[in-house]
Order: sequence, then structure tokens, then C-alpha cells
Amino acid sequence: MSDSGQERWSKKQWKTFSGIPLKSHYGPEDVPEAHRHGSGSSPGQAPFLRGAYPKGYRTKPWRIFQLSGFGKPEDENERIKFLLSHGETGFLMEHDRNTADHMYNVDHPDVVARREDVGLTGAVMQSVRDIRICLDGIPIESTYGHAGGAVVQHAPFALAGYWTVARQRGLDLERLPGTGQSDFFLTYLGCVTKQQVPTGPGLRFNVDIMEFCDQYLPRWVPVSIAAYNGADTGLNAYQELGVLFANAVEYLDEAQRRGSMSMEAAARAVGGVSFRLTLDVIEEACKLRAARKMWYDLLAERYGVTNEKVMNLRIHCVTSGSMMTYQQPLNNIVRGTLMGLAGVLGGVQSLGVSGYDEALSVPSEHAHQMSVRIQQILQHESNLCAVVDPLGGSHYAEALTAELIERAWEFFEEIQESGGFLACLDSGWLHARAHENQNADLDAQASGERTIVGVTDFTHDDTPFEIDGFTGVDDAFEVATERLQELWRTRDGKAAGAALRNLEKTCRSDANIMPAMMEALDAEVTLGEIGDCFREVFGDWDTPITA
Amino acid sequence: MSNQRRILLAKTALDGHWRGVSVVARALRDAGFEVVMIGMANVDEIVQAAIDEDVDLIGLSVGGHVQVAERAVAALRDEGIEKPVFAGGVIPPHAKRRLEGKGVEVYPPGSQLPDIVAAAERLTGKAPTTEA
Repeated sequence: MSDSGQERWSKKQWKTFSGIPLKSHYGPEDVPEAHRHGSGSSPGQAPFLRGAYPKGYRTKPWRIFQLSGFGKPEDENERIKFLLSHGETGFLMEHDRNTADHMYNVDHPDVVARREDVGLTGAVMQSVRDIRICLDGIPIESTYGHAGGAVVQHAPFALAGYWTVARQRGLDLERLPGTGQSDFFLTYLGCVTKQQVPTGPGLRFNVDIMEFCDQYLPRWVPVSIAAYNGADTGLNAYQELGVLFANAVEYLDEAQRRGSMSMEAAARAVGGVSFRLTLDVIEEACKLRAARKMWYDLLAERYGVTNEKVMNLRIHCVTSGSMMTYQQPLNNIVRGTLMGLAGVLGGVQSLGVSGYDEALSVPSEHAHQMSVRIQQILQHESNLCAVVDPLGGSHYAEALTAELIERAWEFFEEIQESGGFLACLDSGWLHARAHENQNADLDAQASGERTIVGVTDFTHDDTPFEIDGFTGVDDAFEVATERLQELWRTRDGKAAGAALRNLEKTCRSDANIMPAMMEALDAEVTLGEIGDCFREVFGDWDTPITA
Repeated sequence: MSNQRRILLAKTALDGHWRGVSVVARALRDAGFEVVMIGMANVDEIVQAAIDEDVDLIGLSVGGHVQVAERAVAALRDEGIEKPVFAGGVIPPHAKRRLEGKGVEVYPPGSQLPDIVAAAERLTGKAPTTEA
């Protein structure tokens, strides 16, 4: 270390990434009395702090679950098959952001104006025909699939499209495994689109999806609260926990208000969530332990749920994209490994490791392969799967878990006092919290308080490997345009028109939109037509981002 | 205040990742620039805003392929706007080289805010502020 480096080290304030001050070592006196009940339980036993299953990964290793998608539906299909052939154990479809997130067909003027961008971060899927191409040859009856639909207004289309393909294959929806996302954090906080249905209709969509799955797709995880998207926008670990449960209670309260499904069924629907993993390995592992206990307590205390099966939170994690560096990208293989390790120590059920080229582009085939290999090394070579909750009983881990729980409930209460989760999205209150942390983080980098190898320090790079970023394909827009023309020529226009009118009528009523959405997809109604219907009926969200 | 330098910030893609451009906007404002943030904008909107707002520098947040940013630069020059352009975002090295070939300075992820502010000062001919 240089002189200034030594000085910085000696003056370092030791704390977690979320700012919790750290002692140099911990003893039994640091674990609060009230926390000992949870920490004294066994894995697979209420309140599940120590893990979801008694024998942990011995019974079932976590699912290797990577985001993938770009270009045309056939490009995405090829990449999904590539990942599955390398040992991925579930797959996750990404739809093109330009079209899907905005519910525009490729001929929308806003898309045409950026035609080169189309297909950059997901495949263009404008009708069930495209989804069929994307899923061609993939055994969805036995493979856990993520249908896409990360953005709230897009989820009903993406899910209905996937299910329609399943139905057309003759599969029984009752037995179909998989998940969607419909995530409020991505939609209204992390990745705010140019146009989006307001949060109220968004909540309706999600609870409609929950009801529909409760009736027809019992093996499907209908919505997945992805606090990841709030965290990678700036929220810290305990804020991420608090805000995830603030989101969950919006869904659960609405289900309770409707009274159309039991609270147990609603809890089952909401109890598959996703968190971000950063490089603060121990804090992140403790966060997952905290999350399980918080879910258990929330259901017991607020809703009186007693069925332990639905009180056992299932967790997917993705390693933080924003911690991956553009500079010296191979270093990201180590970062991905460490962040993945945090998830494993915390007991994830499912994991995605960001590509080493995350800060450069969507993943190349090789970066994707590495993400799978990192997970396989963690599963098969590290012996980490032998013992459940390896941090359990550590004075540090237990004290930190307790502290995270306490701070997370405080943040949860703060959100309730500010009008609740939806109100905090509408008002920009959550955006302001995220923004504060972003700024603090960048200031810490600039002042030398935070070191990022290859970025703020140790910047010399002697690598013989040039990572140039993935280029994707350049014909996604043209092919999507041709396919849209072909669809107009060849679909049954009368049936499509009738299905679309019925969807609009349903949207204007209080009825669940999903049966009409299924009919619309089956009748080959397009993404853009459904988007126009939503815009007409629900209007546009007034985004609070005023940068 | 009359000679306060003005910077236009726009996102070229229909992609809502706003974290990068918003922290850059804050840093530039803190350094004494007037920032005109127009959010997601197409090429015509960027050119129009550059004219209407009479800016000294144009910043493009690129969250997509780089061709849209290239077209924006070409359209600005076609309109006779010779103001400098800088860009940030997930811009892979091959695309960074392309943009740099068009005279655009590129600040990829990991760029430090003081460096971006210094670039804005240099590109607009603004004297650095003594206290950031």
C-alpha cells in the first residue's frame, strides 16, 4: 500500500455497506435477548431464520437461474438452450425493453426512432407467435421457466403468452411450473419507463394474476417482488428488507380486501421474492436470514396465518449488477463468486450471477457460461452444500441479523407512516431515499473512503484478454417488422378484434383481467394493441423522477 | 450568473435505467452548471432542445446501441450545432471507439464524478470552481 493508502486504511470507519457500525469482534453479549428465539431454532423450523429446509442443499441444491435474452425470439431460444445445456436448471426470458416495457409494437414512432436499440436487452415478442418461437423445443412442462414480464403492465401479456403456448402444446396448466415477475421496484423505481399504467391499476393486475394462478396454475409463482431492483437503485440492505415487506402488504391487503382467495393462498402467491447480493458477504447472508424471520412474523402477526408451509419464504437472489466494473472486467468473476457465496451462506433457493461483462453489455455466451460455472463450482467443489446455515450461532452474524431486522421494521414503519408503499412510489419518497444513497456512495468513491479495485485504485491492467462487449444481432427490428406485417395479413382479424374489445370491457369492469388476456393472446392480439387498450383505460403514471 | 454554462442531458434509449444520468446531473448542478434534463428523447427532440435551450454542451446517456447517439451527433452537426457532446452509460469498448471516432468523449461505468465535472468544465470553457 502507498502512504496515502496506509493512512486511509488506518482511518477507515468499519461498518456494513448499509452503514451499521461494526465492532472488531463480537461476543454473546452482542446478541439481543429477544433475538435468541429465532437463532436458537433449527433450519426448516419456524421462524425459518436458519433456513427454509431442515437439510438445506443436501435435499435440493439451489436453482441456477440466469437472465437471458436479446435479438429475435430465435436468438433468445438459442441462448436459453445454450444455458440449459451447460447446466442451468431454470431459464428466464427477457423481452425487449423498448417494446415490451412500453407495450409498443415495433411500428410505434418511439420505437422506430430508436430502431437500432430494438432487441438489445431482450427478444422482441409482439404476439404469441413470437413467444412460441422463443420456447421452441424447450420442455416447459418439466423446466422451471420465467415468462418475463418484469414490468407491471407487461406481465399479464407475457404470462398469458407463455401459458397460451403451454396450452397449445396440450400441457395441463395445473401442472405447469414457473414464475413471472411484475415487479413494482423495476417498474416504478429502478427502471422507470416513458409510459406506464399508474400504480393503482398495477396493483390490480398483480392481484388478478395471483387470483388466476390460485385457480388455474397452483404450481406457478404468480408475482415475484424483486427488491433487487430497489437495492441496485440505491436502497441499502435494511431498506431493501423493509421495503420488500411494505410491498408485500400492499398485495396481501388487497387480496384480503377482495376476499376472493384465502390469506394462505395469497401468502403462497407472494412468498417467492428476490433480493440483491452485494460484496458485503456477511451482511447479505444475514439479510436473507432476517428476511425469512420477518416474513414469518409478518404473516403471523398481521394476518394470523398459521400454515407454516406458506410462512417459509422462498428466496431468489441476483448478484449486484452495479458492483460489476467496466474496468478490468475479469475481476468480476471473483466479485460474482463472492456475491454468490453470500447468497449460499444465507440459504437461497435460486441464484443468478451477473456476467463478468455486466458493465459492458448484455452477457456474451462465454460470460453466461462463466456465471453458470461459478454456481457449479459453489455447488459441487466448495462443500458449502454440506451444512445448513453455516453462519448460525456466530456472535457477529446473529447480532447483525438482529440489527437488520430491527432497522428493517423501522423502515417499514416509516413507509407506512408516509402513506404506504404505493404512495411512496407515487410521491417519489423512495426515489429520494435511493438517490441519497447513490450520492453518498459516489462521494465515498471520490473521497477515497470506498475502494473499487481497478476503478478507484489498482488501475493498471496487464491483461492479454480483451473483453470488447457483446454485440448482439442487428436484424431484430427488421425481422420484427416483417413478422408484424405477416401477422396483420394472416391472423383472424375478426377474432382478434372481438378478443381485444372484450379485454377492454374487462379492464373497465372490476373483473379479473387474466381470462380475457388469455383469450386475447390466443386470438393473436398484439402487444401494442393491448398497450393501447391499457393507455386508453388506465392512463399514464405521473412519474415523480425530477432529476 | 449570466454566463452560467448550460448542459443538456438526454437519454437516447427507451430504457428506464436513470441512476447514472441522475447522479451526473446532480454533480454538474453542484459544480455550478445549469442542467437541462429532458429524459428519454429521440434524435429530433435532442436537436430541438439543444437549439431551444441554447446549451453549451450536450450529454447523452446511452443505454442502448450506440447508433442512436451517433445519429444524434450527426443531426446536431447537420443543424449547424457545433457544441461538444459527451456520453455515458453501458457503452461497450467497441461502441466507445465508434463514438470517440465521431468526436464524442465517453464516460463508461466506473467514471468518477470529479472527472466528469472536469470534462464538462473543459468542454464548455468554464473556469473550475474552487469549492465543489
